[in-house]
Amino acid sequence: MNASFVLQSMINGLLIGGVYSLVAIGLNMIFGVMKIINFAHGSLMMVGMYVCYWAVRIGTVDPYLSIVLVIPLLFVLGAILQRFLINPIIDAPEHNQLLLTLGVSLFLENLALFLWSPDYRVLQTGYASVNFYFGDISLSLVRVLAFIISMIGTVILYLLLTKTDLGKAIRAASEEPVGAMIVGVNVRRIYVVSFGIGAACAGVAGAAVAPFFPVYPTVGGLFVITAFVVVVLGGMGSFVGAYFGGLIIGMAESMGAIFLPASMKSLISFVIFVLILLFKPSGLFGGKS
Amino acid sequence: MSDVTKKTGQTRREFLKTMAIAGGAAAAGGLGFPAVLRAQPKEIAIGQIHPLSGFLAFDGQELANGLKLAVDEINAAGGIKSMGGAKLKILTGDSEGKPQVAIREVERLYKAGAVAITGCYQSSVTLVATQIAEKFKVPFVVSVAVDDKVTGRDFKYTFRVQPNARQMSRDTAQYLSEIIKASNSNAKTIAYLHDDTAFGTSLSGHVKDFAPEYGLEVIEDVPYSPKSADVTTEVGKIKAAGADLVMDTGYFGDGVRVYKTMRDVRLQCQGIVGCGNGAFSHPKFIDELGDITENVLDGNYRVNPLSQMTQKALAHYKEVYGREMGASTVFAYVAPYVIADALERAGTSDRAALRDALAATNITEHILPQGPIVFDESGQNKNAAAAMMQIRGGEIKVVWPKKYAQTDPLFPVPELG
Repeated sequence: MNASFVLQSMINGLLIGGVYSLVAIGLNMIFGVMKIINFAHGSLMMVGMYVCYWAVRIGTVDPYLSIVLVIPLLFVLGAILQRFLINPIIDAPEHNQLLLTLGVSLFLENLALFLWSPDYRVLQTGYASVNFYFGDISLSLVRVLAFIISMIGTVILYLLLTKTDLGKAIRAASEEPVGAMIVGVNVRRIYVVSFGIGAACAGVAGAAVAPFFPVYPTVGGLFVITAFVVVVLGGMGSFVGAYFGGLIIGMAESMGAIFLPASMKSLISFVIFVLILLFKPSGLFGGKS
Repeated sequence: MSDVTKKTGQTRREFLKTMAIAGGAAAAGGLGFPAVLRAQPKEIAIGQIHPLSGFLAFDGQELANGLKLAVDEINAAGGIKSMGGAKLKILTGDSEGKPQVAIREVERLYKAGAVAITGCYQSSVTLVATQIAEKFKVPFVVSVAVDDKVTGRDFKYTFRVQPNARQMSRDTAQYLSEIIKASNSNAKTIAYLHDDTAFGTSLSGHVKDFAPEYGLEVIEDVPYSPKSADVTTEVGKIKAAGADLVMDTGYFGDGVRVYKTMRDVRLQCQGIVGCGNGAFSHPKFIDELGDITENVLDGNYRVNPLSQMTQKALAHYKEVYGREMGASTVFAYVAPYVIADALERAGTSDRAALRDALAATNITEHILPQGPIVFDESGQNKNAAAAMMQIRGGEIKVVWPKKYAQTDPLFPVPELG
């Protein structure tokens, strides 16, 4: 077990953790504002991957430029879901909404299966083969870019939430919906916007990993389960929590695989999941925001 | 009667024979006429159970394509001649990749009148599906499932054409040792990376057992979860082992991810060798990763590339589906031919008679790199053999054994050094 091997694992964990962060932030946004656990989040990420894929294949757009397309498309898709499917039952018991998002997820996956077949599709880009080497350590360009894109997405979202009127309205609707309504915030519209933003986060994460991850209808599941763990770890509804939670889980998984049998890797995140729920159910950063 | 004759296109002689049988049956049963119609259906239903949706849907649909192609070919060539040119019909069941769904589907296909069933791609699903088929006494010709246990339970109705885990690992270890010897390399140690399901653990376990017999030694054994998004740490462990050879078993999606990571971390060894790898012998693997796949070795099931029959089958597949036939698909393609051969000899669609005919199978004309297809007591193809493939010039070529080789193996692999 040499030092460069440990360092290599750490860096890779950090890079993939950045993507987990962005997925989790979108999930957390939807949960924080509407108290809805969005099971369709992975499917939205999958849609983002396909948009990126087809933009490159048909439009011969650079995969990273396709994000410009992914954001509005996924935003609209998310907004439509909220406006026409979830808003009508927003006052129903929470499990109804949960089941609804599960239904949406199954619908999207099977629609993708029908439209694009179950083929594994890989984006052929020049970027994918670029690696930087520092001694024994290798850094893959596409993974670094995925991390950077996730970080940019996070920062933009953070600024949006803290510095703009819309952000203030979202936070108000999240913390005190009745109060927000009284001071004139259109809470239902805020819900639509929030779900749209959450979906766009999933989409951007999808587009960020598409250059190094095969695209297929059920791919979202690989990320979204981890994202749930991240959300619980960081604290339900906590933005900062989701961000650091993603990095921690990414590192914990790859570091854990060094010392444990590799198939116990996923076990690590779920052990963390259970421990957090038992001993600090509000999460590492919960209760502050 | 003349109506029936027209539809099935019988010759005069066959027609007379049919009449004679009908007469005999009529004399014996008094209700001969309808009985003959039942005994000689114009369509014989064959059931298939594959993962057509869910996480293995890609693999499942490829298999379904291979199966359909073979059935169409058999029908176009005149159907089952001993049964008046009866045509085969496929009844489709979707396992969704889940054993519990397959149980239901076997029962449904049985009730729908399938005379034989083929499937299921995953060992876990096939193990339960064959068990239910045994209960209903429906012949089950396994398309793809590598687990030894599939034909290791003294079942009477289970038959498998493809090499099982034991045959595949033994062949891979043997071919590898022969290639090493032929190239005057000193390679001996192996670091083995494999998925943690029954698929990867059984193949790697066998290789570990067979290695000493062929002068090899597995010095590192790293399982990974095919569901994990990143395998850098696992690949890092393999790299740190510093073995002469790296072996790898996994499904398609994770196989691609693993190989890409190996090359990203600049893994150095004399060769990266798959054993039953779901990616390394699949043309799509080359499409997706391009040049870096060059010279990858894989011990896997495969067609005999030198046979005329194979050329025809592969060309036909490409013509219909616009892509190359994958290694697994070959066995979904062979299954209906095995069933049709047995039906031809049984001359009836009675399941017990079909089972006996299957047990007596001896097919010499086929597309596999082996002697005749003959089932042993357990229903396993006695002569099943793997081949060693290598990706050369962007194409998958058989390089070992010599008898079926399209080109000589390139070993040690230069760019990994």
